[in-house]
Amino acid sequence: MTPLLELRQVSRRFGARTVVDAASLKLFPGRIACLLGPSGCGKSTLLRMIAGLETPDLGEIHIGDRVVASPAGALPPEDRGIGLVFQDNALFPHLDVQANVGFGLTGLSRADRTQKVLRLLDQFQIRRLASEWPHSLSGGEQQRVAIARALARTPSLLLLDEPFSGLDGVLRESVRGALLEDLRRLGTTVLVVTHDPEEAMAIADDLILMSEGRILQAGPPEDVYRRPVSLIAARLLGEMVVVPGEVASGRIETPLGSLTAPGLADGSAQLGLRPEALVPAEAGVVATVLDRRFQGDGYRLTLDLGEVQVPLTWRADPPEPGATVCVSFRPADAVLFNPEGERAVSGRLPSG
Amino acid sequence: MFAPLLGVVAAAMGDGAASFPLRDVLRYATTSAFLALSVGVITGITGTLAAWLVVMHRFPGRALFTWALALPLAMPAFAVAYGYADLLDVAGPLRSALRDMTGHDLPFEIRSLGGAIFVLSAAFYPYVFLAMRAAFLNLPGATLDAARMLGSRGAAAFFRVVLPLTRPALGAGMALAVMETLADYGAVHFLSVQTLTTGVVRAWSVFGSTASAARFALPLLAAAAVLLWIERAGRRGRTHETGKTRWRGPEATPLGRTAGVAAAAFCLLLLCSGLLVPAGWLLANLPGQIPDWGRLATAARNSFGLAAAGALFTVMLATLLALGAERRPLAVRLASLGYATPGAVMAIGLLAPAGVIWSLFPDSGAALALTLLILAYAARLMAAALEPIDAGLARVSPSLSQAARTLGRSEIGSALAVRLPLAAGSLLTAGLIVMVDILKELPATLILRPFNFDTLAVIASNYALDERLGQAGLPSLMILVLSLPAVIWLTGRISSPVGRETGP
Repeated sequence: MTPLLELRQVSRRFGARTVVDAASLKLFPGRIACLLGPSGCGKSTLLRMIAGLETPDLGEIHIGDRVVASPAGALPPEDRGIGLVFQDNALFPHLDVQANVGFGLTGLSRADRTQKVLRLLDQFQIRRLASEWPHSLSGGEQQRVAIARALARTPSLLLLDEPFSGLDGVLRESVRGALLEDLRRLGTTVLVVTHDPEEAMAIADDLILMSEGRILQAGPPEDVYRRPVSLIAARLLGEMVVVPGEVASGRIETPLGSLTAPGLADGSAQLGLRPEALVPAEAGVVATVLDRRFQGDGYRLTLDLGEVQVPLTWRADPPEPGATVCVSFRPADAVLFNPEGERAVSGRLPSG
Repeated sequence: MFAPLLGVVAAAMGDGAASFPLRDVLRYATTSAFLALSVGVITGITGTLAAWLVVMHRFPGRALFTWALALPLAMPAFAVAYGYADLLDVAGPLRSALRDMTGHDLPFEIRSLGGAIFVLSAAFYPYVFLAMRAAFLNLPGATLDAARMLGSRGAAAFFRVVLPLTRPALGAGMALAVMETLADYGAVHFLSVQTLTTGVVRAWSVFGSTASAARFALPLLAAAAVLLWIERAGRRGRTHETGKTRWRGPEATPLGRTAGVAAAAFCLLLLCSGLLVPAGWLLANLPGQIPDWGRLATAARNSFGLAAAGALFTVMLATLLALGAERRPLAVRLASLGYATPGAVMAIGLLAPAGVIWSLFPDSGAALALTLLILAYAARLMAAALEPIDAGLARVSPSLSQAARTLGRSEIGSALAVRLPLAAGSLLTAGLIVMVDILKELPATLILRPFNFDTLAVIASNYALDERLGQAGLPSLMILVLSLPAVIWLTGRISSPVGRETGP
């Protein structure tokens, strides 16, 4: 499949600071991609470069088979056919909902424009708000208006900048669910920028990890979660338990036991596990319980393994601190990292 | 506070108004309206363009123009008029030289309605400039980006998005310029343009008729009320606040070489016409004059003393009004009417109640006159002081005063201990605005001042009317020097964007 959008080695500097550093990525038609990274990692700048609001210093941006930005020049945002929904929605406060949604529809007859706007309002179930003013809308309603406005020009790609950060709790999840359902039904290609890993994994068909201006990894969320390319990538998506080990002739020895490490050079290495990969076992490594905390659906124990401490989730009847328990893990869930924190052995090739 | 307003109405209804036929009032009113309209339109366009350039674009000299373009506020309009009248005098060096070189005279006479429009526009464009600069700076950055993403840029984005959003600021800035135009006495009188305000002063000083002066004042008062209504209506219900948004001001884009030079030239032209040319010419004429230092020093002391006393009194009253505003919003609305009211009208209005006091206490003379003058200043400049004080108090979170109340302070006590100290910067701003305006004030001072009590503005006006423009230059420039530091400090404050407000 040909990508709808492709970035090739795109960089952007502000003064001496490289905010986006040789970023490459591909987006495919009809899919929802999620760009995840901590605040200040350059993801918003990347988004603005795709939209055309910033120009890359190096690299190329392709939309379809067209080069829209390269060191030679850049296509202005209004000619790119991309919709952008701003973090604060940026609805025009002096226009009502209908006029906001119709703002970008120039060159149509009044009747055609009204018809198109009303159809969009129907699609997002906000027709009853047509003559309301932006300030009288709830956060979720404002967002629907902003998205309808961006889609009015039938862009090939819709960019959403931290779309759910203004909403909280229960509302956030219901708004997110309903919105994604609508966007999928319309077959829109979407790139969402977020700093919330749970949100990213929940909505993405393709997940792209970014940190300190660099794209670390891209692929289906499950792959990225289970097979992170580095400790940094792993920790963007959640907790990673790291246990040090020694490699000798194709095996690694760790306080949690030993396992095969084919092709790994002799010397020190690190064994990485998601917390849920550690389970109580009949037979395994014996460890002392240091601490115990209640967390609703179970207890979180902290175990002493000598050099390191690891967590263990226990469902019922937890042992007291000071008691000993047996702990083990599935070798298939383990990820081995070299001392620099890069993935050393992979079950599969890195995806993306 | 409202006594002068009532006084005007009462006096106009009184007898003895025969000295001016209604036809004259109409003629003066037409001139005033045309003058005000022209100045409003010209300042609206030039001020907006200059503000747009310094906020949205980078070009040579931008950092300087950002604040320097507001400096003509320190220059009294009459001083601008003196400067140009002397420079462009038929027998002056400029015209003589041009005649010798080209054989033709400039087809332009400064002592005309056109000249007055030019002079007042050059003096008053900063009101629009400052209002629009603040408005542009406070535009959420995403607004322009959003318009661009939807296919609107350049002029289209300006007229479809930026202008509708900043229209309240434009209305307020233009209303200020128009109010100042209507209130101006020194410049138009000197340029021989007969407006309602010159009518008020003339009716009173030449014909000694308070009643006919009030006839001229009534239409001004009506215009003031309409302007004030326009200015308020522009704001009502359209506070474009979205609450939680992160404001990121618009980003300045660089202009090309030609456009950049053109932008710099435009800004320089504005600055020259409002300040550099008239002030420079007055300055160039200083050598060769033999100033009456004793008289000037006394006048400077008087000017400064009046300005300080007036500022103190006005700020105190405005603070009380602002604190009471939560209880009685109507009183504040009425007090603001004074700002739109020309000083001459205010003075005429005060003369009637003053007559009563005079007859009760015949010895009160000078002290009463000065008190009346300060009252007139306070009534006229109340709104100018209220605005920043209100804004300053509004920024103090209500939970702070509530905390003071729960810690045992009374309502007044918590205001004194918490709200006022936190709004101190705003009080200072208000005080300086009032001071600068009083330093430049002429008509009310002329009418109400005690016998032989001169201010710099009065001396300048007297010299100028005696056609001794060289002598008028020094007191004018002294006003400029006295107000300049305050104006520089104020421009830094007034236009700092909301989120980045300096000071408490």
